[in-house]
Amino acid sequence: MMRQFVADLHVHSVLSPCAAVEMTPRNIVWHAAKHGIDIVAITDHNACDNVVAAFEAAKGTNVVILPGMEVETEEEVHMIVLFEKMRQLKVWEQFVKLHMSGRLNDEKRFGPQFIVDAEDELIGIKPEMLLTSLRVNLAEVCEKVNCVGGICIASHVDRPANSLITQLGFIPPDVGLAAVEVSRLTNPSEAIKRFPAIGNLPIVTSSDAHTINDFLSGPRTVFYINEPTLSEIQQALKGKNLRKVVRQ
Amino acid sequence: MIVQEVVDLLQAEVVAGIGKCDNEISGGYASDLLSYVMGQGKTGNIWVTMQGHQNIVAVASLLGLSAIVIAGDVKPEKETISKAESEEIPLLITTLSVFAVSGLLYEKGVSGA
Repeated sequence: MMRQFVADLHVHSVLSPCAAVEMTPRNIVWHAAKHGIDIVAITDHNACDNVVAAFEAAKGTNVVILPGMEVETEEEVHMIVLFEKMRQLKVWEQFVKLHMSGRLNDEKRFGPQFIVDAEDELIGIKPEMLLTSLRVNLAEVCEKVNCVGGICIASHVDRPANSLITQLGFIPPDVGLAAVEVSRLTNPSEAIKRFPAIGNLPIVTSSDAHTINDFLSGPRTVFYINEPTLSEIQQALKGKNLRKVVRQ
Repeated sequence: MIVQEVVDLLQAEVVAGIGKCDNEISGGYASDLLSYVMGQGKTGNIWVTMQGHQNIVAVASLLGLSAIVIAGDVKPEKETISKAESEEIPLLITTLSVFAVSGLLYEKGVSGA
């Protein structure tokens, strides 16, 4: 049945070195369920080791997890990539692993990268440096993601760091972006005036949460869709088949 | 050359790490792409950039850079300043462009190595 679904398409777990230790998949899901967030995409920097735990934690709840990642391209542009199925994300992860910088994380300077299970137990520590760029450019990232069946959303285009607009100065028209994300710093209705480069691209807002407080304070995007899936969200972004973005 | 001499040369404002302005400068590096700084910057280098977010301090600290110059009238984020303060990395800001800063440093014998 068509109804409104509240979605947060950009949430960091404890795998991201910059995220707080409270950001375990279980805790994220628990807070989502309690606060009526229907769809949550777990999007850690250049890695996705905690997505399975999020799926596990969401079993038996009304929360739907979308498998995703926040990728840093060679141009140091941050991109949210989302997939329908975990197996697609695994294919994407293989591609990412081939293009890692080869550097190891320095926990003291960048923060720890925890891999956990659905009960908050520590499974391991990710050794690779995640908070750096992949050796693959924006166009290649978009092409590969689209080829695997996912979508690309340019992260926080209104922010001064790691945004598509600040890094490149413009939004390449030919890379097949599904949307741009505006951060909590900017009212989405003003975003288009302040950043005319957005043009006709759909705008979403997400929390980009690194703490539970970020997660609860939003922002989020409300979609009018038939079921909480990526293909429905894709249709809403395009305004197809009566699906739409109700509110950013 | 030490960082304090650069401060005087550029008439720059020191917004953090003032206690380390006696750091010796081994050479210079200019880039806004952090991964390249990590790959190509060298210990003791002074780094000229227009990035103002806090990861620049992590990179500088990782490499043991002597100072960061944020050029082009970019204002660093609050977190960048507090992190540079705690990591004791001199953070200089100037209205001069990256090109102008690099040129002035080069003239004074700070090489690109």
